[in-house]
Amino acid sequence: MPSWATRNEVIVALVIVALCVVTALINPSFLSLATLFDMLRNGILIGLLAIGVMLVLISGGIDVSFTAIAAFSMYAATMLLVDLGIGDSLLLAFLISAGIGLSLGMINALFIAGFGLPTLIVTLGTLSAFRGFLLAFVGSDLISNVPPAMRDFSRSMLVRGTDAAGYFYSLPTAVLFLIAAVVITWFILYRTMLGRSIFAVGGSREAAARIGFNVRATQVFVYGYVGVLAGTAGLIHASLARVANPSDIVGLELEVIAAVVLGGARLTGGYGTITGTLLGVTLIVLVNNTLVTLGIPTTWQKVMIGFLILLGTGLPAFQARLRANRMG
Amino acid sequence: MTRLLGGTALGLLSAAGFALVAGTTATPAQAQEYTIPTVVKIDGIQWFNRMREGVDRYAEDTGNNSYQVGPAQADAQLQVQIIEDLIAQNVDAITVVPFSPEALEPVLARARENGIVVVAHEASNIENADWDIEAFQNVDYGAHIMDQLAACMGEEGEYAVFVGGLTSRTHNEWIDGAIARQEEAYPNMTLVGDRNETYDDQQRAYARAQELLRTYPNLRGFQGSASTDVAGIGLALEERGMEDDTCVMGTSLPSISGQYLETGAVDGIFFWDPADAGYVMQELATMVLDGEEIAEGMDLGVPGYNSVTIDGHVIYGQAWVDVTAENMDDYPF
Amino acid sequence: MTSPPLLDLIGLSKSFAGVRALDDVGFAIAKGEVVCLAGENGSGKSTLIKIVAGAQPADAGSIAIDGQVQRRWSPMDAVRAGIQVIFQDFALFPNLSVAENIALNQELSAGHRFINWKAVRAVARRGLERVGVDIPLDQTAETLPVADKQLVAIARALLSDARLIIMDEPTTALTEREVRHLLDIIRRLRDDGVSVLFVSHKLNEVFDVCDKIVVLRNGRRVAAGTAAEFDISSLTRHMTGRDIAAESHRRAAGADARELLRVEGLTKHGAFADIAFSLKAGEVLGITGLLGSGRTQLAKALFGLTPVDGGCIAVDGRPAAIASPQDAIAHGIGYVPEDRLTEGLFLSQPIAANIVVGTVDRHTGGGGLLDRHGLKAEARRWIDKLKVLTPSPDLPVQSLSGGNQQRVVLARWLATNPKILILNGPTVGVDVGSKAEIHAIVAGLADAGIGIIVISDDIPEILGACARILVMRAGRITDEVSGEVSADDLALRLAS
Repeated sequence: MPSWATRNEVIVALVIVALCVVTALINPSFLSLATLFDMLRNGILIGLLAIGVMLVLISGGIDVSFTAIAAFSMYAATMLLVDLGIGDSLLLAFLISAGIGLSLGMINALFIAGFGLPTLIVTLGTLSAFRGFLLAFVGSDLISNVPPAMRDFSRSMLVRGTDAAGYFYSLPTAVLFLIAAVVITWFILYRTMLGRSIFAVGGSREAAARIGFNVRATQVFVYGYVGVLAGTAGLIHASLARVANPSDIVGLELEVIAAVVLGGARLTGGYGTITGTLLGVTLIVLVNNTLVTLGIPTTWQKVMIGFLILLGTGLPAFQARLRANRMG
Repeated sequence: MTRLLGGTALGLLSAAGFALVAGTTATPAQAQEYTIPTVVKIDGIQWFNRMREGVDRYAEDTGNNSYQVGPAQADAQLQVQIIEDLIAQNVDAITVVPFSPEALEPVLARARENGIVVVAHEASNIENADWDIEAFQNVDYGAHIMDQLAACMGEEGEYAVFVGGLTSRTHNEWIDGAIARQEEAYPNMTLVGDRNETYDDQQRAYARAQELLRTYPNLRGFQGSASTDVAGIGLALEERGMEDDTCVMGTSLPSISGQYLETGAVDGIFFWDPADAGYVMQELATMVLDGEEIAEGMDLGVPGYNSVTIDGHVIYGQAWVDVTAENMDDYPF
Repeated sequence: MTSPPLLDLIGLSKSFAGVRALDDVGFAIAKGEVVCLAGENGSGKSTLIKIVAGAQPADAGSIAIDGQVQRRWSPMDAVRAGIQVIFQDFALFPNLSVAENIALNQELSAGHRFINWKAVRAVARRGLERVGVDIPLDQTAETLPVADKQLVAIARALLSDARLIIMDEPTTALTEREVRHLLDIIRRLRDDGVSVLFVSHKLNEVFDVCDKIVVLRNGRRVAAGTAAEFDISSLTRHMTGRDIAAESHRRAAGADARELLRVEGLTKHGAFADIAFSLKAGEVLGITGLLGSGRTQLAKALFGLTPVDGGCIAVDGRPAAIASPQDAIAHGIGYVPEDRLTEGLFLSQPIAANIVVGTVDRHTGGGGLLDRHGLKAEARRWIDKLKVLTPSPDLPVQSLSGGNQQRVVLARWLATNPKILILNGPTVGVDVGSKAEIHAIVAGLADAGIGIIVISDDIPEILGACARILVMRAGRITDEVSGEVSADDLALRLAS
């Protein structure tokens, strides 16, 4: 087997194609622009979060608190906009939400880069702390009269079409944020020393420190970046749903991490690609949105995602063993 | 502010101990004035703020010392502590909306040993209570929603059903009732797909609705169970411009689904009024304290509880509230 | 007038928790000089390297560069002075390409914020040219063979204007051929005026490449001089502090010894083919071959670890079906793996438990209960017999030195009363003193009537232990020589 054929990206792409073919055979109308737009729209939140998680995994850490950061930023920002009566500026809305996300990310960074604590322990703690603080001190009621800027944003469409029955299908403008995040992240990872330092730290922390990378600065950047992405993703989520629900988003951790790992990022650090991550997100979104068509009960959804995670994490291990056997 | 004062007063009371409380109850002037607290799952959320209105109204109507307390966080243990305090104050009766009935059984048993009357709500499986009052039988409620959905759809066409969780007993009983009513009364309606599970997540309800619409182009009706279900469905329909051609009915609150009721994406929502539930709990507790007989078909004096049914120590009303765009402003929660 | 030495170490001392790791050690390295730092494990070599690299401060003494005594000595100062250390783990980024591993250092110190891949590749190519090797620039470091990783690390060091490269046990994981290549590169560096501090306990390499030798023992400099002033036995004596018996440990089979093992036509597709040999009681048989010759696969097959595709094995004249290690043990075959750390020992478990783990069946009484006292006594017996140096059998194996760990592995197999023992690279990573002792143990085992197969590509090891040697090439036995053959002759037969 040539080496490219066993890469996660290729396998995930093949699974995606197979799933699409099967779904299309059962329901030919699956192959439509409407489906594509639905998938893209439903992939924005997971996609943005996944890009952040990918960065963390590459740097050799793990973050499970990003959903709590997203929920916190989204809810607190919406509340501020409503209470202060400044809900007319979308830019301000995003700045506030991303800013809150950044601050929460910095709390993670303080414990991880500052005190050198293990990333999983820290983010498990902050996941619970951020969420608890949000519900106990910020608010637990959902805000369904979201500020005008957010409401308008949810109605702002990049493309809008009409199907045979006269109903709309549309691609929200929010998808531009995902595209921007992809481009910016790609540039950082592959065109800047900062990006290379993330790979270097994830590959070997000691070696990175030894040749003069500032490991702590790299970690601070990574967790801050995740915070900004989570804050942005949260606000988009609340806008599109037209409601800020503080118990939303938390609970998606597993799916997002699964998407990233499926895309070839390794939990041991150092590896991860944007293409792979986007493919992983595509697969997860596809699985979540084809079960009715395939006639699979929703309880099986979790089984399938679990299976996909095993596949995604098991494959690299299996390949490594194959390699070892060949060399022996 | 009032809450803060109430808490301090409670603390003082329990610190002052038994003598003070005994002294108060021993005042002969108004023998029929009972102290009946209502313990809720969590303080400060809209649902229980509404319940407080009912409890306060009852205090006004009767002159009883009726009031509502609840923990700041949804935590069974905090509820237990509150009830322990109330036992120490030797209140006459406790009415309670348990966060977890199992966790409250021991402390409620102790309350009853101390001669305190216990009335529960939303806990039909509770053992240590004189009575449990439910707004309705789940199956009847589900059938009622189906009746409204069928009327909206002209009694024909495809419909889909949503539950918050496949393991949620209440949601599934509502849907059981709905499907049974459709099969019995509306032969031209067809259920498509399984019960769609949304994990009480609006985004999932939204995505599920999108997918159902892609898979079943002739789908015209939706019945939701979790309070966020119809909002998610409504959003999906609105984005497709289908709000006028579809019917969406389900359990929800105006605060969650109001904007979709306004646009017509959601056609009707249903719930029970927590104010009425609070009022009825207080009334039941007073009746037990007064030694009145509770019997099948009795009128508890609140709309929806005019002719209750009794199963063991569980009392059922028919106290659902139908809300549409017209009357949603009457229910600001 | 001679210029001052590139590096001058003066009276370095260092203690850890009251234990003297280095005691007044000093020597100098001139430009273009290859100095060998020799010493057994625990002699203070690693401490010395860390001090020179700036990773640890010395308690006393000083470091002079070009005759200037240095006041501050951080890792960055060391790098600025042109000192580069190639650690045993090479400090590479396993996930990055060869090009980046070599060039990242340069890009970083140049203060670039953005990365120019063309420049990275050009720099990397230049680095590899200086080493004189060609490694695909886009390959991920993780997938490189050990030898190539080392070359990448050297190329990286050279690019940082290294004037002195310190190599810590650079040949441990290399094959004979790769070692020769590395030594060639070291000579080239010397000719370019780069100094090398070479840390090793493989004596033949030391003599092969070094101009000067410094010997450490128990933290003290016990000898220093030009390579010509030492020979194998004097160097060994300095390192160990005693004379290592020069007597031969080779054991040939007696004329009337019975045949323990006969292998015929043994074949495993893609690994080895048509292997035939016999082993007699009390004989030490060597099987050698380069990496990839099939020697390790053969060893594993004999112990049932890899299934074979054809051929037969007879033990004590009776055909034996060996499909699993359990079968092999049942036939009295023991196997001591090459990487004793990962394959053979439970490192965090006590020494005693590691020794008796194979004999638990024998010490199980009625009702399946363990006879703890019996087990303990048995462990003690082997610890005494094999001279495992430990204060208590209850300490974890990882507290032992490499040589003592090897003895624990031997003890485990001897406790199972084997008839045949397969030793795969028994002295890999073991210092000179322990090496000789292990050879003596092997000879002792042979004298007790056990048939022993030593599998290794370490020529001195094979020659030190074996009376008869089979040479494998490309999966076949191509030669059989006596243990009297010279090292050069054997090396030639291996490679040609």
